[in-house]
Amino acid sequence: MSDAHSDINAFHWLMDMVQTVDVGLIVLDRDYRVRLWNGFMENHSGQSGAYVIGNNLFELFPDLPEGWFRRKAESVFVLESRAFTTWEQRPYLLRFKNYRPITGTAEFMYQNITLIPLVSTDGKIDHIGVILYDVTSIAISKLALEAANLGLARLSRTDRLTELNNRGYWEECLITEFARYQRSKHPSTLIMFDIDHFKKVNDTYGHQAGDEVIRVTSRTLRASIRTTDIAGRYGGEEFGVILVDTSAEQGLYLAERIRKKIEALTVTFEQVEIRFTISLGIAQANDGMTDHAQWLQNSDLALYQAKHGGRNQSVVFEPEADK
Amino acid sequence: MTTPVLICDDSSFAQKQMARALPRDWDVTLSFAANGAEGLDALRAGKGDILFLDLNMPVMDGYAVLETIRREDLNTMVIVISGDVQPEARARVLKLGAMDFIKKPVDEATISALLDHFGIRGAPGKLRADDNIKVDDLDRYQEIANVAMGRAGDLLARLLGAFVKLPVPRVNMIEGSDLKAALQTIEASETVSAVCQGFIGAGIAGEALLTFTESSFTDIATLMRHEGEIDDDVQMELLMDISSILIGACLKGIADQLDINFSQGHPVVLGRHININELLEHNASRWNRTLAIEIGYRIENRNINCDLMLLFSEDSLDVLHDRASFLDF
Repeated sequence: MSDAHSDINAFHWLMDMVQTVDVGLIVLDRDYRVRLWNGFMENHSGQSGAYVIGNNLFELFPDLPEGWFRRKAESVFVLESRAFTTWEQRPYLLRFKNYRPITGTAEFMYQNITLIPLVSTDGKIDHIGVILYDVTSIAISKLALEAANLGLARLSRTDRLTELNNRGYWEECLITEFARYQRSKHPSTLIMFDIDHFKKVNDTYGHQAGDEVIRVTSRTLRASIRTTDIAGRYGGEEFGVILVDTSAEQGLYLAERIRKKIEALTVTFEQVEIRFTISLGIAQANDGMTDHAQWLQNSDLALYQAKHGGRNQSVVFEPEADK
Repeated sequence: MTTPVLICDDSSFAQKQMARALPRDWDVTLSFAANGAEGLDALRAGKGDILFLDLNMPVMDGYAVLETIRREDLNTMVIVISGDVQPEARARVLKLGAMDFIKKPVDEATISALLDHFGIRGAPGKLRADDNIKVDDLDRYQEIANVAMGRAGDLLARLLGAFVKLPVPRVNMIEGSDLKAALQTIEASETVSAVCQGFIGAGIAGEALLTFTESSFTDIATLMRHEGEIDDDVQMELLMDISSILIGACLKGIADQLDINFSQGHPVVLGRHININELLEHNASRWNRTLAIEIGYRIENRNINCDLMLLFSEDSLDVLHDRASFLDF
């Protein structure tokens, strides 16, 4: 008698725990009818157990992604193996309010879900348990951290004035591209260019006008290249563009297009009209090079020839001209 | 008349289990072979009128043995004993001429019933002396992993509707600093995505780590009938679905054999589209030694590379040893 009494007591405690625990607990049968709906589920969904129990989950919550949930649940029924989903896959199973509606930053509760097979007394799996964890704070801090890291990474490789890649990052890209060239032997071309008589622009119109000229040049450059090309600000008024899978000949075509666009431009800064030109050196990667610095040097030599030849022109590096 | 019986299994622990499962009063001469090639040599030498044959073995696997027996018309009755419980594996070996297929781990009652069924037991002879096969911890763990791997493989096969090629599990004791090196044994020339999941129970704790090569996703998506583009979200779904099943089934297989239960933590995405050596970049190791069980699942005719690594913490090793030793008796 007292055994039965303590059994009943133990059962009551257990039910109290199930009702009170701050984790969502649901039991579903083979037809997705709800068999258990604990206090957490009642309070967050606003639907009482009396209303929910015995009814089909998908009819009760039409927003619940039925196909997706069924696929997970079926594997639990059939394979008798647990299934897990994380907030990274799908932020929530049921859209609940954030537990902290006032000071919390998330609009809704991020949830991790575990589905477990429940063995009946006859040894069959005709019910599954759904355990729903509130992981809002973890999700929010992870998302914030990822965003911050992404922002920092972008900041650390971007040139402030031009929003092009800065020298450090661009040079890393050049090293990578040179390594890729050595592996694949696909043609790859480098353009180095700078603004002609830039010192004169600065001296005549002031540094702010000079900055504007650099900005306009960068904008023109960005608008002229393909998405696979990698442009960077190499120095004060010097720029570099890595052209992946491109020959020197094709590179020359692009260089000329940029040069002509710049030549046709008029930059207006505080009512003063400024016109300027650029000189470009082009070099294709070749097997004679042992590192990226040689590639850079070849482009620089071609750029020097363009300057020497009267500026406002593009020159392709010729290996014979080396000697 | 004494019957020559050959047990062919790469695991000395499995050899021992098999020998123990034979009726003690059955008058046999036992021989052992550690792979298919050795097994065939023994057969040709007349050491196996009855052959108990494992499937997943190094050098030469059980399928190749069956093919050779048929080709050379060797006189033997083959009973396959395997942890590979895929229905397809059973069908294949029966087609290749095996008399029957028995799931690992074997027990006396099953073997006894089988021998009676085929009427090959004969009259009782004198009691056989104990075998003196030496078994060490790694042998035991490998065989436990083998059985667990087979069960998980069966679930994966059912999920994907394809035949899963099971490897020989690799079991190693590794020093903490070598974990990275151990991971690098996973053959991956391309980037991978990985999920890890912690488990604990009965004083045994560890982590399961599942890695997929990037190119696997296309074929997995096809097998799972995912329509449309395979974007990052779809990959994440596939990664989670497969890791739930493989890790869950493998751990359950191990827990069942050791007669314990594991609690599993929630799976965590360790990294996506990264190089294998970046995987543990942010994970400082706090232990000196760990037991690593590595299982490389491959799907027949598909480009799917999926490696499961089970890592047991140093403080689990004593319990693991004690639990596994029970299986010898």
